[in-house]
Amino acid sequence: MKVALKIWRYDSATGDRALKEYEIDAPDWATLLDCLDIVKDRHDGSLSFRKSCRMMICGSCGMRMDGAAVLACKTRMYDIAQAGRVPVISAMGNLPILKDLVVDMDPFWSKFKAMWPWLEPGYDRPEDGREYRISQQRMNVVHKESLCINCGCCVSECNAMESDPEFLGPQALAKGMRFVGDPRDAATVERLERYNSEHGVWDCTRCYFCNERCPKGVDPRDAIAKLGAESIRLGIDRDMGAKHAKWFVRSSETTGWLREEELIPKTQGYVSAIKQLKFGYSLAKHGKVRPVPIPHTAKDVNEARNLRKLVREQDRGGALGHVQGEHALAKLEHGHAGESLEEIYARPGAAPRPWLPEVEEEPSA
Amino acid sequence: MSTAETPLKRVAYYKGCLASLSAKELDTSTQALAPQVGLELVELESVTCCGAGDIHEAEPDYYVHLNARILAYAEATGCDTLMTVCNVCTLNLRQANFMLQGDSDLLARVNENLTTVGVPPYSGKVDVRHFLWEIAEGEGYERLKGAAHKGLKGLKVAPFYGCQILRPSKLMGFEDPDRPWSLERIIEACGGESIDYPAKIKCCGFPIIAAREETALGEVIQPIEQAMEAGADVMVTPCPLCHLSLDAWQQKLEASTGRAFGLPILHLAQLVGVAAGLEEAELKFKRHIVDPRPALERLEV
Repeated sequence: MKVALKIWRYDSATGDRALKEYEIDAPDWATLLDCLDIVKDRHDGSLSFRKSCRMMICGSCGMRMDGAAVLACKTRMYDIAQAGRVPVISAMGNLPILKDLVVDMDPFWSKFKAMWPWLEPGYDRPEDGREYRISQQRMNVVHKESLCINCGCCVSECNAMESDPEFLGPQALAKGMRFVGDPRDAATVERLERYNSEHGVWDCTRCYFCNERCPKGVDPRDAIAKLGAESIRLGIDRDMGAKHAKWFVRSSETTGWLREEELIPKTQGYVSAIKQLKFGYSLAKHGKVRPVPIPHTAKDVNEARNLRKLVREQDRGGALGHVQGEHALAKLEHGHAGESLEEIYARPGAAPRPWLPEVEEEPSA
Repeated sequence: MSTAETPLKRVAYYKGCLASLSAKELDTSTQALAPQVGLELVELESVTCCGAGDIHEAEPDYYVHLNARILAYAEATGCDTLMTVCNVCTLNLRQANFMLQGDSDLLARVNENLTTVGVPPYSGKVDVRHFLWEIAEGEGYERLKGAAHKGLKGLKVAPFYGCQILRPSKLMGFEDPDRPWSLERIIEACGGESIDYPAKIKCCGFPIIAAREETALGEVIQPIEQAMEAGADVMVTPCPLCHLSLDAWQQKLEASTGRAFGLPILHLAQLVGVAAGLEEAELKFKRHIVDPRPALERLEV
């Protein structure tokens, strides 16, 4: 097939920048990475990009196609070429460009290191010398986070990091959750204290670009939400973001609806909120906030209050509350929401059902 | 094609917090417009906040139950659709809905808890849809074309989607999150000219505006600046949180940059409402910080 590409070339030594177009012959099965190899081998040896494994596991070939971060080795070109599209290839965002499609990963790795990306062992070794075993159920908590290959596609698109370059960001925080949720790790509280820093958990702006772009299904935004839930469960809630979140909980069980007028003082503290008086006045003038907030209470709000009381007794606190929903949400990725496995394997032309081990039980302690 | 005989589609109407209070103008314009675009709104009474992503983050198990309760009351109206007018409500309710629909054990546990506190159980059969989707295609769109008889007279409108109606696309599933078309289609059906700019799919900063104002302002400025450079007269958004951020925090952007923006931000129902001839009593533009009326009057819209 004929594939046409436009590539943003850049040389940080000279500052030269140019959009160059290439047209190549490639096999029908070619990925974007295969096409770049052909460009480099047969058309222009000066093109720079990173690659290694070619099979979506090393995380080297993150780049942007038409403005969206992708792994070049995962992106098949057939449909694009057939449609006559000429995609624009450029380096990832939020990281300095060194040359062409190669970015400087140093800021990425320094945030990664700031998470203490290693296990702080805190478990008793079995006396009989056998290995320490953990049930599947307890590892499910960090299953998705463990899939991360450090490619940086999420960081490339992070809207909060664009505005605050010091934000630890989706990759580092997802890595943090991988250890916070690990039952063998002994540093949970210290980690959460660290991740609750000024540019940490509560900086996430919830744009969901990270979930959208991650080529491995890590869903970093959901990992950040797990860290938030674990922080609040363990009483690490001094950050304004945590106070903001808790005010929604409080509102929902007292009046049902968000008590909007009190949100800024409850988040920032009454003293700091005084600085917002002029702003508050401008909102009040247009009826956006009321000078005296009379609670606007939802009918039957006691049901919400009782519901919260009830579920708090049921042992699904913190990140477990997120984990319980992952099973169902994972089905969406594979296009079969609402169907049972039996129904899926009964579809005409379905692949045979693979053998799966029985659900493992908790190992006896 | 729309016909006068086609009955209105009954939907359970979930206003959410903002349309109940700081963005009442969104509620009044939606209610006034609804019959013209083929919708009969059945307002939900015994419902609470969806948690706005904050309860999802702080107490996720409670979040699932709180949203299941909203879905259960929506189902009790006999409607198949729960209609939202806010991106954040849309994401929170759709996400909880998929969790419940895709896991019968979770649904059973949640229903047991709901019935314990006196809430009817939820079957999992309600579809959560945003007002935008109701009028961007199908019967709603056909009716919209008829209703927008006054037109927008070439008004240059910048569409701003906001995040949580596009992403995560596996939970939304309505349109390509990188190349959305629904707002543009509506703007053009109303006789406006839609303006294109890169930040239309990016974040307005609202979720962190109280806790990280500076970071949030670095996000709000992008759509405002880009839309104005592209010549927009007004901006339209389907989300009242984006609206609050873009409208109310614009004065803070002006203070911090020393520049005058004055870009009016309209709720989706207001923009269509102008084209459909709604009155100020329903549109309530006086409740905006940046008054859209001068821009609309200039073009005699």
